[in-house]
Amino acid sequence: MMKETHSFQYDALVIGGGIAGLQSALDLADQGFKVAVVEKDATIGGTMIRLSKVFPTLDCASCITTPKMAAASHNDNIDLFTYCQVNSLTRSDGTLKASITQKPRYVDPDKCIGCRQCEYQCPVYVKDEEQGGFSLRKAVYIPFSNAIPQLALIDVQHCSLCGMCAKVCPTEAIDYFQQPEQFVIEAKTAILATGFKLTPIDQKKEYGAGQVANVISSLQMERLLAPHGPYQRVIRPSDGKEPDSIAYVQCAGSRDLSLGVPYCSRVCCMYAIKQAMLLSGALPLADITIYYMDIRAFGKGYEQFFQNAKAMGIEFVKAKVGKIEQGENQNVLLRIEEQEGDGRVVRREHDLVVLSLGMVPDWNPAGICPVTTDTDAFIKCVQPKLAPTLTEMEGVFVAGVAAGPKDIVDTIAEAGAAAMEASNYLNTLSSGQAA
Amino acid sequence: MSSNQDKKPTGGQEKVGIYICHCGGNISDHVDVKKLAENVKDLEGVEVVHTNTFMCSDPGQELIQKDIKDGKINRVVVASCAPALHELTFRGAIKRAGMNPYLYEHANIREQVSWVHHGDQATEKATGLVAAAVAKARRLKPLEPIRVEARRHATVVGAGVAGLRAAYDLARRGLEVALVEKSPFLGGRTARLGRLVPSGEQAGEVISRIAGLVMTSDKISIYPCTEVTAFEGFVGNFKLTLRRKPPEEAECRAQLKKAREAGVGKGEFLPGAGVLTPNLPDREEEISLETGAVVMATGFKPYTPREGEYGYLQTDRVITLPEFVELLAKYPDRRGGFLQVKGKQIRSVAFIHCVGSRQIPGIHEPGQDGNLNEYCSRTCCAATLQAAVQVRKAFPRTRVFDFYRDIRTYGRGQEEFYEEASRQRVTFFRFEPEEPPVVQVSAGGKYPLQVSVKDTLTFGEQLDVPVDLVVLATGMMPTPIKEMVELMKLPVGADGFLQEVHPKLRPVEVANTGILLAGTCQAPMDVGEACNAAQAASAKATSLLARGYVELDPFVAKVDPEKCSGTGLCKEACPIEGAISLKERQLDGKTVVQAEITPALCTGCGICVAVCPSRALDINGWTLEQYEAMVDAIVAA
Amino acid sequence: MGKPDKEAMKALRQQRKAYIDRAKQEIKKQRKLIKAIKGQIREEAKTVPRIAAATKLPSDQVLLFIAAMRKYGQVIEVDKDGDYFTYKLSAEA
Repeated sequence: MMKETHSFQYDALVIGGGIAGLQSALDLADQGFKVAVVEKDATIGGTMIRLSKVFPTLDCASCITTPKMAAASHNDNIDLFTYCQVNSLTRSDGTLKASITQKPRYVDPDKCIGCRQCEYQCPVYVKDEEQGGFSLRKAVYIPFSNAIPQLALIDVQHCSLCGMCAKVCPTEAIDYFQQPEQFVIEAKTAILATGFKLTPIDQKKEYGAGQVANVISSLQMERLLAPHGPYQRVIRPSDGKEPDSIAYVQCAGSRDLSLGVPYCSRVCCMYAIKQAMLLSGALPLADITIYYMDIRAFGKGYEQFFQNAKAMGIEFVKAKVGKIEQGENQNVLLRIEEQEGDGRVVRREHDLVVLSLGMVPDWNPAGICPVTTDTDAFIKCVQPKLAPTLTEMEGVFVAGVAAGPKDIVDTIAEAGAAAMEASNYLNTLSSGQAA
Repeated sequence: MSSNQDKKPTGGQEKVGIYICHCGGNISDHVDVKKLAENVKDLEGVEVVHTNTFMCSDPGQELIQKDIKDGKINRVVVASCAPALHELTFRGAIKRAGMNPYLYEHANIREQVSWVHHGDQATEKATGLVAAAVAKARRLKPLEPIRVEARRHATVVGAGVAGLRAAYDLARRGLEVALVEKSPFLGGRTARLGRLVPSGEQAGEVISRIAGLVMTSDKISIYPCTEVTAFEGFVGNFKLTLRRKPPEEAECRAQLKKAREAGVGKGEFLPGAGVLTPNLPDREEEISLETGAVVMATGFKPYTPREGEYGYLQTDRVITLPEFVELLAKYPDRRGGFLQVKGKQIRSVAFIHCVGSRQIPGIHEPGQDGNLNEYCSRTCCAATLQAAVQVRKAFPRTRVFDFYRDIRTYGRGQEEFYEEASRQRVTFFRFEPEEPPVVQVSAGGKYPLQVSVKDTLTFGEQLDVPVDLVVLATGMMPTPIKEMVELMKLPVGADGFLQEVHPKLRPVEVANTGILLAGTCQAPMDVGEACNAAQAASAKATSLLARGYVELDPFVAKVDPEKCSGTGLCKEACPIEGAISLKERQLDGKTVVQAEITPALCTGCGICVAVCPSRALDINGWTLEQYEAMVDAIVAA
Repeated sequence: MGKPDKEAMKALRQQRKAYIDRAKQEIKKQRKLIKAIKGQIREEAKTVPRIAAATKLPSDQVLLFIAAMRKYGQVIEVDKDGDYFTYKLSAEA
């Protein structure tokens, strides 16, 4: 059953509803341009909304992200398209055309009031990736409490079609027959803000390939520290023990040719230091160790943040972690080559180990639009010095981690820059000048 | 999540809704939010009390909007973080619900309570602050923002790469731009660099390209050899006085001479200086400029090592990285043999990182201003490795030693550069800040200098490295702009750089609306990062000025004509020229003199309120009556 | 949505048979697991290792379901016993 293909017109199309995309959209909307934001997830907010607190101010991530999410969703010049996939982005006759597929939520967005009655009644539990897999959600669910839009969706792969959700929904919003929707967004300019994912935790054999209990990723630790975390406190996932000793393995997915990630991911030092600080607040008696190669605290106020962490008693050990194995009592054994002291290989045991995983791109433009990627797989910038947001495609700009690893501060600056380039491009079109 | 404690209206017209935020746990870990809600629910005029994990989130804002739309409330009190963060968020939410956004009062129970107090005391203080906010909210009157025309003109201070970038972008968006530069050259510090990391582009080419675009734009007026000497006004309507004069400074004159000798004409690039501006002044003059926004792009200067710091100034064989880069730029194509510096053959060179950066109290000596540069300068690691690799490639017989604390090649393509340095057999030594390398002049040895270090890469071995030259990787310091900081009341951070309102919420703005930050005046950045920041600042300036008008907060003085007896004390006390004037008007058939306020100029400081003998003045939104009610409420709470 | 068409629902069930069968299996397993955990903490608050030992369930599975049941209001955290926290069924459960 193919529906007629609708087409929507905007000045600008922003691909990605994380902090980069939202900031670009807001900066364009503030200048009076009409913007469409297309997001692949069921909610906007990107990685940032899933974090606990952010360095170096230690603001809660929600305190910064939710108002920007709300501002975008309420802005008259911005329309949000969530749960959407971009199939192609092409230019013809001076117009960019994005072919979009919106995945079915199986819930009527005009009727759903976000009351979560369906979620409470649904009999199927499913691992909740929003909580690092440490808790469960239902087959019908709202992603998290400050998701935008606040609309339920059904995960059909886990749905038994028992009909319970339709029965309890007060507004008859459940629609088991919903189909994917195809539509086209036409715009004059576009910003790619497709973000990142972590380097896979199971890729490195020496680090247990994801099979050692109580070895978790840094984003999983963000959830343990977040106000709405799975346990609402920091305990380890294998058995609920409050850890006495927590270790960070830096560069666990970066600066590592064997993983195909030779570059520095640029945020891991700082997020590890931040998490270590938050942990020492949550667990004042715990020993926290960071095994590192170089501490890269290069942003505004970051070095001072690092020195504060040292002063707080967080142990920084310059060492390469060679191997991670399961110890006794579900503890984790690290084999490390210390680079200070006498350089022997030593074994150290911790209750909980966090892998400071790096960033890899979450989107590949190949086959979708004529924008190429660099050797690092991030989108290629054609003028990295004077105009870092320019891509190879005319009128298409890039912002945030899509153009290489970056922290939030640098991402927000780059999002503003991309908005500036996009608005200048729109201006050039309307005034008929050459670029 | 939300505890709704409705109660019957009290019959008064002012119906207050209180919205208390947990802020995740930032507030609720220390303030007993439930108890706080209980404490304030029976205050006079309070109709509803809600709590929410994040009141600033969409569901939180909807709580407020629903109560407004349902007619339950007509005054809003939000108890959450500092108003600097989210006052505008909540005003927006209230406005969208159809209520006047100024019928809202903010109680700061995070920065002023939960972050500084704990336990019962915290809850108690929060109760007092919320009670005060309620008392004030009941006395709030609807206000309208002051709309004033905005000039579609922006001024960029500093013509380094960030200033050039900002000027060009603003002009492309249709604004008239004044580009003010203190030297006769465009390009700032970038113009003095060699190859840029990691692309290897020549900095001179980059600068020539953007300066060319700026010089050919008919929207940009360039003011070289010019400084800002006076500043007044407000967003959309700033007035600047500029002083332009023929170049006097010795360095400038020397560079101009060099340009003449090299046959570098106007608009052309002089290595080590920048693009010579087309319009050099031949006489001193003062220029008045009316502008809508000011972009600060005043840049940085390299740290100057103290005499004796790693042997600096004690021998001419210790130089800084910027000096070395300028020397190196002179031998771009030289291949083979040894590097020559100041006529001397350099068989081996040592680079020392973190000179004037990452300084630690108790270890490093403060500078002349008594301050330490505790920050990382971010660009020096990659710049040092760039220079090291360049030396190794161009002069394979010159050996290179690199003394570092942490190698911070964080940027795209930079880590690969670090690896390239290793491949090029640059030898690395790592030191702890407590035990930095020591540079000594070695008398009678084969080499004039010796660098000794306790190398933690070889497990603390004490090593002596003989070298011909030591290069100090000096960090960045903000260009000293003390006069402008005072004139424009610019906020300066503990690190000496200009300070944004918030690194994520308002990263290129300062508290004074209409003044924006671009590039290394704010923090160390590389060229690409400075251009991003400049473009972000341009986007913000464009949003401010695009509509042709700006809206100012209505928190300005007002005169009660019933009470004003025309003493003129207010006018005398007012620090803003033109904000208060004395006007004759007719009252009951008689001519009286009374004070009159020009709202767009008034800053709402309240000095006039304090000096008025007849209490004829008040600040809208912050009236004496409101203050008194707040104090009473705190005492009573 | 109004009353779903019976025939259409039947067709949809057929189409999603593999998912539905798997989900039904899951529900069965999960119900058994939840029942076992609930049985342990109805009267007395217990730590995850104690529940795991008594039910012979892996401790990470127990914690996962304890977390989920807390989220949906069926379990509360009560106290601390050594390095572990204890959990009990809530009044609503």
